[in-house]
Amino acid sequence: MFLLLTQILVAVALLLTVVATGFALFDKVIGNVVLGLAVLVELGVLIQLVRGLFAIPVLDGSGHKATFAAYLITLPFVLAITVYSAIKDKTRWAMGSIAVGAFAVAVMTLRLQQIWDLHG
Amino acid sequence: MAEPTNQTGRTEKTGSAKGPGRILVAVYGVLALAATGRSILQIVEYFDRAPLAYVLSALAAVIYIVATVGMARGDRTSTRVALVACTVELIGVLVVGAMSYAVPDAFPDKTVWSHFGSGYGYVPLVLPVLGIWWLRTARRSAG
Repeated sequence: MFLLLTQILVAVALLLTVVATGFALFDKVIGNVVLGLAVLVELGVLIQLVRGLFAIPVLDGSGHKATFAAYLITLPFVLAITVYSAIKDKTRWAMGSIAVGAFAVAVMTLRLQQIWDLHG
Repeated sequence: MAEPTNQTGRTEKTGSAKGPGRILVAVYGVLALAATGRSILQIVEYFDRAPLAYVLSALAAVIYIVATVGMARGDRTSTRVALVACTVELIGVLVVGAMSYAVPDAFPDKTVWSHFGSGYGYVPLVLPVLGIWWLRTARRSAG
């Protein structure tokens, strides 16, 4: 159910990780490319949130439900906070934090898929 | 205790969330999320399997949250709190890491600190060292 969305989301999030890391290494500040990719990832994360909330009742075990819900709800904030901070503070270090945030989104999305697959 | 202020009456900042500190705050935040998620699952679902390991997992999650907030706030008191959290974290990962090899039965599942954080790419082992170094540098720079 989630697989296609997961694949697209992870691919774009990893692309953003690479681009943001490149920006940090070459001392470039946030621009349209990073913002565009971040918007795409955020859009995917929001679609995942809505779809995932409806899927929670299907999952077995309160622990898996809690982890699934916690990741779903937290994910939209991860990139939003780092991008906001990069807009406020235009430095290479802020680009590094976007790279960390985007990588975290990719890993957490894969973890969501893993939990889903246990019950799918 | 009142927060130290400068001559203009503003709270003194150490700048722990600026420069490289931004990346550290981001990594700490992500680790706090991951550790919290894992410890919720372990405590709710499998607590009886290894209570000590899972309580330590929850403790690790709390320490990561404290370190993240302390580093992100960046005033003198918060920086000190973050420094204590990073030190506890370093001791935790070393002690629990060693225990997980010495008494493997007590750690049937991977936790953040067991096996020196191998389940998280050894980030939990490296991060407190970087955190302590950075917080001390930021504190010294602030004077």
